Amino acid sequence: MILLLPAILVMALLAIALAALLQFSVLEFIPGSLRTGGLTTRNLDAVLSPLYLRYIWDTVVLSALTTVLTLVASYPVAYALARSRSATMRSLLLVLTLAPFFTGAIVRTYAWMLVLGNTFIHWPVKLLFEPAGVLIGLVHFSMPTMILILAAAISHIDRTYERAAASLGARPWRVFWRVTLPLSMPGVVSGSLVVFAWTFSALPTPELLGGGRVKMIANVVKDLALDAFNWPGSAAFAAVALAITFLLLAVVTRALTRAGGAAA
Amino acid sequence: MAHRPILAALVVVLLLAAGPAPAADPLVISMWGGNWKDTVEKVIAKPFTAKTGIPVEFEVGGTLDRLAKARVAKAAPLVDITFTTSHVGRLYMSDGLFQKLDMAKLPNARDLAPEARRSDAHLGVWAYVYTIAYRPDQVKMDITKWADLWDPQLKGKVGMPDFDPSHIITISALLEGGDERSWQKGQERLKRLKPNIAAFFSTDARSQDLMKTGEAPVQVMLSINAFHLIEQGLPVKVVNATDKPGIVGIDTMAIMAGTKKSDAAHQFIDLALSREIQEQLVLTFKAGPTNLKAEVPAKLRGQPGVFTTPAEWRERGYIMDDETRAKTLPAWKEWFNATIVAK
Repeated sequence: MILLLPAILVMALLAIALAALLQFSVLEFIPGSLRTGGLTTRNLDAVLSPLYLRYIWDTVVLSALTTVLTLVASYPVAYALARSRSATMRSLLLVLTLAPFFTGAIVRTYAWMLVLGNTFIHWPVKLLFEPAGVLIGLVHFSMPTMILILAAAISHIDRTYERAAASLGARPWRVFWRVTLPLSMPGVVSGSLVVFAWTFSALPTPELLGGGRVKMIANVVKDLALDAFNWPGSAAFAAVALAITFLLLAVVTRALTRAGGAAA
Repeated sequence: MAHRPILAALVVVLLLAAGPAPAADPLVISMWGGNWKDTVEKVIAKPFTAKTGIPVEFEVGGTLDRLAKARVAKAAPLVDITFTTSHVGRLYMSDGLFQKLDMAKLPNARDLAPEARRSDAHLGVWAYVYTIAYRPDQVKMDITKWADLWDPQLKGKVGMPDFDPSHIITISALLEGGDERSWQKGQERLKRLKPNIAAFFSTDARSQDLMKTGEAPVQVMLSINAFHLIEQGLPVKVVNATDKPGIVGIDTMAIMAGTKKSDAAHQFIDLALSREIQEQLVLTFKAGPTNLKAEVPAKLRGQPGVFTTPAEWRERGYIMDDETRAKTLPAWKEWFNATIVAK
């Protein structure tokens, strides 16, 4: 019980912060003033307007697309990282995977701005300040984590199952599809959940690569709180977004766990 | 006798442990970062310390980040002086974060342009305008007036701030015969600008990046930032618009309520408003002085945002009402995000 004390204290602090957020969300915003008025439901009503629901929808779509694309792009790298016979190759892949962690989100995003803009390459379609550009940045940002989670899952697969399938005449692609992939589902589920959750709260990537035109939930919360100084409105939007995050995570967890269970 | 060396060593150790004599309690200034802080440190803080012996420290951050910080530290302010824009100063005042200035301690304030006296709690230290700045090497047409922003030749080339759209909203209203109070008059005009908008920016640094990379080679830009880019060698033209004036911005100084260094803070502000310091600020920032006695070099006279006489303050820039701006900004932002920013 004593060992749990630090964790309980941290949770208590977070609960107080959350309570303050909820309290602000029901206080009246007075334009041109830092003071708040009495109790009101107006902030929550405003958040449920089409404009703000659209920001939430855009965030859900971008997060889902980021998760799927990150998974597809990361799996082959993770597989190679876990299964390559060459130690040099494994080291090289590990270094390349870890390298982005040492550059920081802002530096990486600025680099993407140069790549996606017209500074060095003239793209046939506009990528910078478009959802496609934000998606590319989010996928790149999420890949190292997804690769590491998937590689850990793949390296824990007992290879005798794959050899048994092959000895019974299954071709390599069939072995992967029917044995390796299902057995790596715990990694797929955890990686997808992590990527979905943090993409849902992404701030610098959509802020910089979206050029103000692509806004996700965190950008709108920031806009309301720090640009319009509408703290009650910002708190209401954050509270609604938090509730939606929990709901979506519950749905995604259930769906992925079922898919994993069925596949296994 | 044998104890002498030990005693001497002990004295030396104690002296070292005591460290140097403590410096005077520093005056803490809340300020924007980058060029803003560097200039204020060099032009105002150093002479202030030389004159008074009081060191100066800076807390840097964005306009509204610092406001948020000031609000949560209201009971015990973390800074003594705040530099902020004039309308955001109104927000500080709404929560009693500024103290009333003692004008008897600010003799240099007598020479201020009336427009720089924003309230009895905050005074203008320099002026600039939000105007059009563009890169002639990337834009084929000659831009001379605000209405040119709507020209189809500028399709996908214009950048503007989204953290505070009050400038372009007011300009649209002015072009349609309204002003910031009747801003709705410019709504339809502003909607027609959408095809020309390439990007929005939320910081001065992003604005300058967009200009450098050519992603948004035409911008509704802070004149000081445009002059800064020119100094860096970028081919940028700053427009003195012929149809409507630029929107004037006045950065102000105020003393935080509850500070224990009110006297030193008054001295700092008075020094910042002195003719000599104002002249240096003009040279460094290419901004307009608020002290009407400050000399402005010939090459800067008539430049956007540089006003040298009471008549120029009135005629060459449009000054929005601070209170209207502070109160209407949330509504402007919401409309702007929903109608102009949203695809």
